Amino acid sequence: MTEEIASAAAESVTPAAAKDVIFTPLKFNNLEVKNRIFRSSVSGRFDNEDGSLTQTRINWECKFAKGGIGAIISSYVPVLMEGRIIAGYATVHRDDFIPYWQKLGEAVHSFGCKFIMQLSHSGRQMDVPGVHNYARPTLSSTSKKESLHGFLCRAMTIAEIHYTIDAFAKGAWRAREAGLDGVELHAANGYLFTQFLSSGINDRTDDYGGSLTNRARFLLDVISAIRAEVGSKFHLQVKISAVDHNNVVPWEKKGNTLSESVQIAKWCEAAGADALHVSTGSLFPHPLNPPGGFSFETIAATYDAMISSGTSTLRNYFLFRYPILRPIFHWAWFRMKRGRPVEGVGEDDARAIKAAVKIPVISTGGWQTASKIRDAINSGACDGVSIARSLIANPNLPKFWAAGDDLPPSPCTYCNRCLLNAPKNPMGCYEPLRFANHAAMVEQLMTIYNTHPTLQVPTPQQVSP
Amino acid sequence: MITEQPVTAVEDALHRRWRLLTPVYILLAIISLTGIVGAVLGAILLWQLVQNRTPYYADIVDEFKYGSIGAEPYSGIPYRIWRALPTLFPEHFGSLQDYSTFGFLYENDANGRQRDLPIGISRRTYRNVDVVWFNCATCHTGTVNATMTDAGGQQSTGRRIILGMPSNNLKLERFIRFLLDAGADERLSAEKLIPAINKTGPELGLIEEFIYRWYIIPTLRDGLLKRRTRLFPLLRQQPPWGPGRVDTFNPYKLIQADMPLASLQKDELIGIADFPPIFNQGPRENMHLHWDGNNTSLAERNLSAAIGAGVTPDSVDFDGINRVADWLKTLRAPPSPYHPDPRAVARGRDIFMSQCRACHGFQDSQGYTFTGEAIGQIEPNSKLGADPHRLGSYTEKFREYQLANFFVGTSHQFKYFVKTNGYANLPLDGLWLRAPYLHNGSVPTLADLLNPLEQRPVAFVRGSDTLDPDRGGFVAPPCVPPSAPADPFCYDTSKPGNGNGGHLYGVNLTAGQKSDLLAYLLTF
Repeated sequence: MTEEIASAAAESVTPAAAKDVIFTPLKFNNLEVKNRIFRSSVSGRFDNEDGSLTQTRINWECKFAKGGIGAIISSYVPVLMEGRIIAGYATVHRDDFIPYWQKLGEAVHSFGCKFIMQLSHSGRQMDVPGVHNYARPTLSSTSKKESLHGFLCRAMTIAEIHYTIDAFAKGAWRAREAGLDGVELHAANGYLFTQFLSSGINDRTDDYGGSLTNRARFLLDVISAIRAEVGSKFHLQVKISAVDHNNVVPWEKKGNTLSESVQIAKWCEAAGADALHVSTGSLFPHPLNPPGGFSFETIAATYDAMISSGTSTLRNYFLFRYPILRPIFHWAWFRMKRGRPVEGVGEDDARAIKAAVKIPVISTGGWQTASKIRDAINSGACDGVSIARSLIANPNLPKFWAAGDDLPPSPCTYCNRCLLNAPKNPMGCYEPLRFANHAAMVEQLMTIYNTHPTLQVPTPQQVSP
Repeated sequence: MITEQPVTAVEDALHRRWRLLTPVYILLAIISLTGIVGAVLGAILLWQLVQNRTPYYADIVDEFKYGSIGAEPYSGIPYRIWRALPTLFPEHFGSLQDYSTFGFLYENDANGRQRDLPIGISRRTYRNVDVVWFNCATCHTGTVNATMTDAGGQQSTGRRIILGMPSNNLKLERFIRFLLDAGADERLSAEKLIPAINKTGPELGLIEEFIYRWYIIPTLRDGLLKRRTRLFPLLRQQPPWGPGRVDTFNPYKLIQADMPLASLQKDELIGIADFPPIFNQGPRENMHLHWDGNNTSLAERNLSAAIGAGVTPDSVDFDGINRVADWLKTLRAPPSPYHPDPRAVARGRDIFMSQCRACHGFQDSQGYTFTGEAIGQIEPNSKLGADPHRLGSYTEKFREYQLANFFVGTSHQFKYFVKTNGYANLPLDGLWLRAPYLHNGSVPTLADLLNPLEQRPVAFVRGSDTLDPDRGGFVAPPCVPPSAPADPFCYDTSKPGNGNGGHLYGVNLTAGQKSDLLAYLLTF
């Protein structure tokens, strides 16, 4: 049934689009995606505190699936509660969550779209700890505080590393059991894998720190463990940061270079990865990821949700809130962006990695214009692109391209207000220029709640204690 | 105390950091608090240090009497101490317990109460402390006790204050000696002085008292002791000054010019002379001013006189000095109260016009005429024969010092001072107020001045302001120096500097001619 819908969707593509590389299926070792467009990892605080997903998440994902993309990469899905990034996002740490994910997969598949679960662990980059985590420092490769917000952490013991490796393997197994199309390891953007990989963060002296080989060990062990758990026939891709640019806070070290990341990519391929997803930056958000604006007025209204999360957050809040202090942060943030484009900011990095591996490479970073994406794929920079913000603005973006438009009529402005609202408000487009008024914007944000779950009266057994 | 445990790991870390850094924060708080307090105190102190204001008197007469010329900051006495001194040293202040005992003149205010400060004492707020000291009126305001007819023909009898006449009452030496002795007196200490200050006015506040105790009183005492060390050895070598007299240049050399006494020659040590009148300064421009005529510039003479009164180049108040100097240009002496026989006056006038006018100008019904071939010129003392001490007290060496050191590089730099060889021929306007006569006040009356040396009084009482209508001058009964009391002052012409010789003009006239000449002189 799923395939029938998929072919129906393919038939709806116009003749002009039929020859378009964007709409050419992308074949991985274990997965074929109908086109080259991936919804990049993005979500909101839609789910339950226990980590079980809700109808809202299903609605959210289906919005993109319906829009015509080839595959959805889920928002970060923690494999352990201690690895949550923002509380209120669905997790995959329990077997009894498998049916929920199964339902989500089913829903996405119904639109002819594939669904790849992004397995993640926050490490020290935990923005909103939630009730499970606020009483303890997070686990990381290091005991040094996170540089921007001052999130506390503690270096993992070897036993904790092994336990976490096993959790990733189990997470992959649950994804496969749920009938999802693959998993992606979130080894980019400053989360736990980056904290091991980055020379700017990892200060361990054991087998998991020091040389690049040692720093990559955790990621490669996880890949091996997943392969041991799910076999070689289940799609597994790895998202890595091509360059760390770890010195957003100016006194931090720079971290990994592109050549180090190329080496990591080759090792991932050798260890059994089916694809690579190339991003940038050793923290999130990062001036180069997602590239674009930084609205001080927005973050001044949302960062309060994070003040209790770190030891430097109050400082940051002042830097964000008071116009007289804003130039300090503005300088630190925007100095890295000089001379770089927003759309395709990671194209050259992806090209370098693609040149070193045989498996497909997906590039992320501001993609929105059909011609640019086409050029990137045709020129061998990547095999596909992943998009988040431009799809939030226009979930049916592929349909515009299929109709021959290079850009939608009301494109994403890269204002990043969606990003800056994430810790506090529902995910969606917050660009006021794209809406007639505030009410119209809110209406757009509320669309994901439109299809309500079926409510039920619990049986006495379901009510505890 | 039960403390609630922090809920989150972040709060726990922040608490620990806070506990760890508490001493640092406290230290920083103390440092910043100290800094803030220091800055505030510094600002207050700075504000106080830049305070320099004095009352402005719209009426030029009040300005002359009470306005400042800038003598207070470096030479003056804090106002509160000035007021407290009579309480502290009652034995020096006579029956009235005020400064009138030194000859200072008090007026009554609009309510009929005696004014707080006498004429000739000005007040200035300097560095937020009120300080008082001399102005022009100190030495140039006297009294006369006579029956006078005013412009409307009204007769009045009694003691009148005359602005611009010599300060015939002022016992300047006694006042200076008192102050300098007070500096060495144990009573001029915070323990005694502060209660005396509190007794004579509003009590000092805590901060004020602190400043008086630790800065003002010690500074005043040091200054007085320093001046005492400088001046007393000089005063020991001089005869008493007596009322209405001052040594202009010698204290000036020792204090303002900082010259050691040992560097002065023996024949320059006694420069005591009478305070001069300062009427009609305008016509005197370019005349040789001062008794010895050592300066021909009114402005420079005024400035030099101001320095003598305690002004320094840093503290000088040119506005105050210039206002008074302009007013003095046309200040006329009150008309003579004498009404001698007009025929005698006419005869005397003839004598004067032929024998005296060339050097002194003349008086007629229109007032005083300041012309004459030798008026304002130097009469060599070899010819005049007056006591040479005052002439000798101004030396070439001191002249060089003045020219090289005062107001150097400014438009006020001294350049007109000269060393002369005699005494200046002065206009005689207001002559009836100028007794005793000659530069050192050694001849009590005009009648005596027309007499040869051997007939002039050898010793006489100075300090009376009662007119002697017969002889022209103030009543000056003879006295015998060794047995005379200190008060009233007995002027002894045998003392160095007090010689009554010289100016033997008219001494050979007949008695009738002298009487006629005197009659004419009484109209001046």
